[in-house]
Amino acid sequence: MTVLPDLDTRRDTTSAPPSPVTIGGLGEPGTLLLSGPSPEAGPEDLVGHASRWGPLPAADGAGVRALLRDSRLDGRGGGGFALARKVETARLAPGQPVLIVNASESETESRKDRSLCAHRPHLVLDGAALVARALGVDGFVVHVHRGDAPVGGALGAAVVQRTEAGLDDPAVRLSEGPDRYVAGESSAVAGFVHGGDARPMFTSSPLAVRGPSGRPTVVTNAETVAQLAVIARIGPVPWNGLGAPSSPGPRLVTVAGAVPRPGRVLEITGPATLGDVLSAEGVVAPPAAVLVGGFAGTWILGDEAWQTPFTRESLACVGAAPGCGLVAALPHDACPLTETARIVRYLAGESAGQCGTCVAGLPRLADSMDSLAGGSARRRDVRRMAGLADTVLGSGACGHPDGVVRLIQSTLDVFHDDVVRHLAGGPCRGSDHPPVLVVPDPRPRPTTDPGAWR
Amino acid sequence: MAVSVSVRIDPTRCRGHAICALFFGDGVELDQWGFGRVTDGTADTDRLVRRARRAAAACPNGAFIVHDDGVTLAARSGA
Repeated sequence: MTVLPDLDTRRDTTSAPPSPVTIGGLGEPGTLLLSGPSPEAGPEDLVGHASRWGPLPAADGAGVRALLRDSRLDGRGGGGFALARKVETARLAPGQPVLIVNASESETESRKDRSLCAHRPHLVLDGAALVARALGVDGFVVHVHRGDAPVGGALGAAVVQRTEAGLDDPAVRLSEGPDRYVAGESSAVAGFVHGGDARPMFTSSPLAVRGPSGRPTVVTNAETVAQLAVIARIGPVPWNGLGAPSSPGPRLVTVAGAVPRPGRVLEITGPATLGDVLSAEGVVAPPAAVLVGGFAGTWILGDEAWQTPFTRESLACVGAAPGCGLVAALPHDACPLTETARIVRYLAGESAGQCGTCVAGLPRLADSMDSLAGGSARRRDVRRMAGLADTVLGSGACGHPDGVVRLIQSTLDVFHDDVVRHLAGGPCRGSDHPPVLVVPDPRPRPTTDPGAWR
Repeated sequence: MAVSVSVRIDPTRCRGHAICALFFGDGVELDQWGFGRVTDGTADTDRLVRRARRAAAACPNGAFIVHDDGVTLAARSGA
């Protein structure tokens, strides 16, 4: 078995040696973030949390910023941007910063942030309190999807417990926004929190420089801040060493598709391969392919994926990125083009309806994928689809159209043989396979009714 | 003295009238629906700056955005 090299020139020599691979779910051995009670126990309360982790360390703002720097904590919402840099950017920008913890997890097959907030709310609130210190602010907002009762309930109850216990916490506001795919994008969240629509915004500067309120705005993911709460307890260098050189620290992933228990959230430490992750879930042989990073992610053929470590560097070698941490297995008897076509159709209807090329282009891309999967496309249709994808790429105010394009490009690239077979011989037997990925019913067109975005 | 300006099209406002392309010419790339994208985000000659400002004034949706960089052209060109 060949393991892809995990080279990283940024690695400093003071880091701990590479960690052994461990993989586990909530309350299972080998976990850190997910350690503690089993999922059936519900949200861990403040007493349980404090007895396992101790009180929140008394690091001041400079101390927390040092933790961020030394751990090299990367954002876990999809972008992978270093939280230390966001914080420094916001501190250098004029105005009092705003801190928003994004727990809305709009990626429908991903569960990691929801699971974390619903079961370990105090870890999330601890981490957010630390980021507030680093920014020098006395409050923060936690943004969740409306109607996500386990998450909102657990966080709300945790805030009450902390207040009653007299913790010296920043003021917390829970914000509930619409449950839509692009509503979880950071500028959409920031806009919503400041009284606007939960639709992505065209911004002239990064949110951390100038957000919708005119103040520097740090939007960071729930897992990211929870990781900081762990870093403050175990130290930044030991935490860093629990990952792989290019991917500091442990990571949360959600497994989906052809696995025994789709929707399970796992914490991985060390350079675990996708094969390790799937094996831990009882998958005994490489699937046909693995979709990594989310709906707007990248397909990797099963044999290759099986040997690829789930680290930023190794995934980049196969054109993928950790994204939201989704690991979805495609079985050998399903049709990859049909699965992709369903995702593209769903994403087309999830456009915020603001940018013309996205509104006009995504349904066309969905039509093209449908005809390709259905076996009615010709070679020139595929060329046109690729050309249209190039047009759509980079056309929007947010990354939504780009995500669709990347998924399509990855599909055409990775499943080249399937494409050729569909062009030659019509639909494949896999077209009749029941849907593998749980994709919500697509909306016929983007929703532009402003009420839908409040 | 003129200054160089940064030029952008706000895709959330653009409705594909393509009027900007009349003024800003090659600086705008139109897709098949007429939605524009600037090819170079900086206008750094007096002529280009003038055209950019006209395009901004002509856009019915305020999508063509000209932002002063504050860099004087004379200083940049060393004249």
